[in-house]
Amino acid sequence: MSVDIKKKFFPFLLAISLFFAGCGNHDPESIKSRSQLSPVAVVSVVAVRSAVEAGGDEVLLVPASAIFRKGELTAVFVVGADNRLSVRWISTGRSMQGDVVVLGGLDKGEPVVGVSAPAFVEGVTVIKRVTAEDQTHE
Amino acid sequence: MNDGIAGKLAKQFINSKITPLLMVASLLVGIMATFMTPREEEPQIVVPMVDLYIPYPGATPAEVEVRVAKPVERTLTEIPGVDYVYSTSLPDFAVVTVRYKVGEDAEKSMVKLWSTLMKNMDKMPPGVQFPLLKKVSIDDVPVLNLTFWSKTKDPFQLRKTAVGVADELKKIKNIGDVEIKGGLKRQVKIVLNKEQLRQFNVSPLQIARQLQLSNTQMTSGDFKQMNEELIVRSGRFLESADDVANIVIGIYGASPVYLRDVASVVDGPEEVNNYNFFGWAAAAPKGSASGEYPAVTLTVAKRQGSDASKLADKVLARVDNLKKGFIPADVTVSETRNYGATATDKVFTLLEHLIVAVVAVTIVVGFFLGWRGALVVFASVPITFALTLLIYYLLDYSLNRVTLFALIFVTGIVVDDSIIIAENIHRHFAMKRQPRLQAAITAINEVGNPTILATFTVIAAVLPMVFVSGLMGPYMSPMPIGASLAMIFSLLVALIATPWLAFRLLKTEEGHHEEYDITNTGYYRLFNTILTPFIESSFKRWIAFGVVGLMLVGAILLVPMKAVQMKMLPFDNKNEFQVIVDMPEGTALEQTARVTKEISAYLKTVPEVSSYQYYVGINAPINFNGLVRHYYMRQAKNMGDIQVNLVPKDERKAQSHDIAKKVRAGVQQIARRYNANAKIVEIPPGPPVLSTLVAEIYGPSQEQQIALARQVKKVFQETPGVVDVDWMVEDDQKVYDLVVNKERAAFRGVSAEQIAQTLRMSLAGMDVGVLHTDKELDPVTIQVRLPQSDRTSLHDLSTLFVQSQGMGTLTTRLRAGEMIPLSELVRVEEKIKEKSIYRKDLRRVVYVTADVAGATESPVYAMLNMDKKIEQLKVPGGYSVSPLYTASPASDEKLAMKWDGEWQITFEVFRDLGTAFAVVLVIIYLLIIGWFQSFKTPLIMMIAIPLSLVGIIPGHFVHGAFFTATSMIGMIALAGIMVRNSVLLIDFIQIRRAEGADLKRAVIESAAVRTKPIILTSGAVVIGSLVMLFDPIFQGLAISLIWGGVLSTILTLVVVPIVYYIVEKK
Repeated sequence: MSVDIKKKFFPFLLAISLFFAGCGNHDPESIKSRSQLSPVAVVSVVAVRSAVEAGGDEVLLVPASAIFRKGELTAVFVVGADNRLSVRWISTGRSMQGDVVVLGGLDKGEPVVGVSAPAFVEGVTVIKRVTAEDQTHE
Repeated sequence: MNDGIAGKLAKQFINSKITPLLMVASLLVGIMATFMTPREEEPQIVVPMVDLYIPYPGATPAEVEVRVAKPVERTLTEIPGVDYVYSTSLPDFAVVTVRYKVGEDAEKSMVKLWSTLMKNMDKMPPGVQFPLLKKVSIDDVPVLNLTFWSKTKDPFQLRKTAVGVADELKKIKNIGDVEIKGGLKRQVKIVLNKEQLRQFNVSPLQIARQLQLSNTQMTSGDFKQMNEELIVRSGRFLESADDVANIVIGIYGASPVYLRDVASVVDGPEEVNNYNFFGWAAAAPKGSASGEYPAVTLTVAKRQGSDASKLADKVLARVDNLKKGFIPADVTVSETRNYGATATDKVFTLLEHLIVAVVAVTIVVGFFLGWRGALVVFASVPITFALTLLIYYLLDYSLNRVTLFALIFVTGIVVDDSIIIAENIHRHFAMKRQPRLQAAITAINEVGNPTILATFTVIAAVLPMVFVSGLMGPYMSPMPIGASLAMIFSLLVALIATPWLAFRLLKTEEGHHEEYDITNTGYYRLFNTILTPFIESSFKRWIAFGVVGLMLVGAILLVPMKAVQMKMLPFDNKNEFQVIVDMPEGTALEQTARVTKEISAYLKTVPEVSSYQYYVGINAPINFNGLVRHYYMRQAKNMGDIQVNLVPKDERKAQSHDIAKKVRAGVQQIARRYNANAKIVEIPPGPPVLSTLVAEIYGPSQEQQIALARQVKKVFQETPGVVDVDWMVEDDQKVYDLVVNKERAAFRGVSAEQIAQTLRMSLAGMDVGVLHTDKELDPVTIQVRLPQSDRTSLHDLSTLFVQSQGMGTLTTRLRAGEMIPLSELVRVEEKIKEKSIYRKDLRRVVYVTADVAGATESPVYAMLNMDKKIEQLKVPGGYSVSPLYTASPASDEKLAMKWDGEWQITFEVFRDLGTAFAVVLVIIYLLIIGWFQSFKTPLIMMIAIPLSLVGIIPGHFVHGAFFTATSMIGMIALAGIMVRNSVLLIDFIQIRRAEGADLKRAVIESAAVRTKPIILTSGAVVIGSLVMLFDPIFQGLAISLIWGGVLSTILTLVVVPIVYYIVEKK
């Protein structure tokens, strides 16, 4: 990148005819097929639950084990409609008996991975999908 | 024969030794100038624009509008040179934007603004704080973006690395602003523990005060002793988190309370306030990582007038160096914007086009005049351009797409003078009536003076474009200036260098010695056959005129039939576009991040996208468009920007505009699911505007304006081809208003300010100072705040405590120090947040914005389409609102609407170009009158001008192109070229008639003799324009020159002689 433009110019003038020959149709670079990530097994998939707090406000809950951190960022893995995992950045509030209040980033009922593991990455397919029963009614 | 100026010049230089030296010298200075002129992509545009941020804490938008925005606007409009004043009144503050006229001096404008503002500061209501003035200029747009991303590092660590790199880069010469976008700063967080606070009887305000008091250090003075000065210093700054934690903040019982007793002190990243992620997409280089990674962007701006590409190269070299040590191995630095490289690329592509054009023209000339003639013409072009480039350098222009475009544009025209001279010398050499030197001078004398006239006609045609006003001015003015300069130089070259070269290079063919007879040439026989019937039979003549007239009418009819559509400028083929995501106001940061991420995940699959980066809660690095649209203020939690980078142009088939159109549906489908508004933003080829389509709605009250805006917005949404519909009215956002019970607060010895401060400290946090460490480049703030888990609901807030001030407040007799829960003092009222108030040029306005794509690509047609529907809208009062086009409504008493956006610029440009064209016609007329001393002849010559439309409009139809501003420029320039052809024709007729030939023979002979140079010069224009045909922006110009050139040349050669014959016969 640091080639001086001045030096580039003279060969440019000389090789101009070659340039035109080369200016034709480039084969568009073929879209490479991304190496398929090998699917992973997920022990439990739980839905985001809602509960009513002491103050009377409705809050969303996910298991504390579902949460992982990257520095200051907090996230869970969400299982998409295509059975692929995606990282969802969330903000969390207080803990409630093994669960954590989610303040933003998730909707009620969304399936999240119950126990996150380092093997999980964005876009990986989930093979075993055990949906946990706990869809609390309250 | 009496020598004209041309002849005299030629005589002087044709055998002079200085001529070749002059030629070589001009070539050399030209080459030097090419390297010394700074390169950049966009032309330098000086539009002084200043944002004023005027805080008025606590005021509602309506109050801000009346007390701050209005008076400030009124005083600012007094400043000479101010073009527009916009304002936005938000809760607590106003933003007033002043835009000066294009080309006003930036520093003078600032001084004028400052003094006007100072003069009126005393009239501001109490409570208004001192305004912050920020000058915005094109040089604030970063030329280079480096994205630091990593699989293992988090945003905090990334930012630290980027800050270190930024510090290093700042040392480079000519570097402008270096900024870091995203990441998390280091912060000492004092996370309050509500229970402990209550237990130790400590209030948050007390902590803040103690921290501020402890964080101090100063030099107390000195004293003398034993001939020595001893310095006394006292206090100590807080240098670490431990220092902070060990501050005594109160007393409980008999023992001191340390900060660590009531709060946890954490030294680390600040709370998450933005999400910035980078990812490779479908067209990424092979082997790039999939997934997306935390990122931090380092943006580099350049100093005014410096070369973007040189700076970018230097920065990249320095970063490469830093990669060896300073930048950790697991942090990848990707180049996500390099305007230096794109500028160089653009400049070299244009230079390449220039050379192709010159070579192509030379080859064509070669066919007619032989290779020696071609060489003469070929040699004259570089000299002309070299001199023009020198002038660019001397006039402080940069090499950008507009200045270079001027050169390409004139390629076909600058060779003309040389062609005409060389061709005539060639003809005279072939006639062999005189010795060589004499023949050459006769030849120059014969065409020299009409050539001078012709050159000035073309200059007269392009020069009035200098007067295009407004934002389009800087895009246009280098063109007529460059083109005119090149024309003048080409004339000089044609009169000085070409004769010298032609005299030496052109050979007199040996062999045929018979007397030259024009009637034997093919051209004469051809024109004799074509012209004779029309000259002799007036019936055939009128049929011919009728046919030409019909063709003209037919061509013009294509415009109202919408077969050819008008548009300001088509989209350029860029390597990037942006997606702007707006969630409803009041959306949490994480929710916005989620939607933005989902849209990015879709964009990732688009085959032409190479990488993307999204910014949530923070604005993406701006471009020129974002600068005008104030995208740098997009830092709210409900806003996300996605920067999409495409593979380079030559590696994809689709144009960027087509890709943008293609992804729009997919992006908006996702956005709709979350109630978001996503817009695809492309870099406009010309001056940026708020939005392509803007409806400004004026009216007596904001409610009525919003009601009408809602209806207009609906019309927008229902109109096919109108996309990205949005309006500048915020969604309803819930506000909890904590109303202080004044009696009770007074009785308990608590002030309203205490309550406000405590709440602010608990929720937003309060910076109480900085950590005095010398290792950190970013300042490390100390912030007091409640943990996120303790500030999620009203319930949390009501359990906060404030400390009674006791008798000190003079409102109570209770003892000081008691902790009183907030719930006892405040009452909660739920409200809707007041909407921002926008004003433009002293009137309240509501904007509805949209873009056009698909069914209509030109905003004008969409506007005309919507006009009818808008006129049918029902408004209170029962009148109809008919959209205005050119001026804002006379009064605010009735609801009214005005179109703005691209239309405003289109209107100004076509108005100015139209006026320029009219002036051009008059100047050309005057020039020819001066030359031919006749009032009639110029009119005959100018017949050719409308004839060019016969070619231009159907040409656009054939190519399926828009009639753009560049088409218009082509049309204007063509007027000059066509008149020049007529001048050459008629000048020869008059010479022949003066020599005694009869009218009919003179007419036919002139057509025969002049066909070759006319076809050659028009051919040069056509061939020279061919390279531009594939450039999205200059396509219109190319079509105008090619089609207009071909058709009007053919018609000119037939129509002008016939008309001249009729007129002169009488």
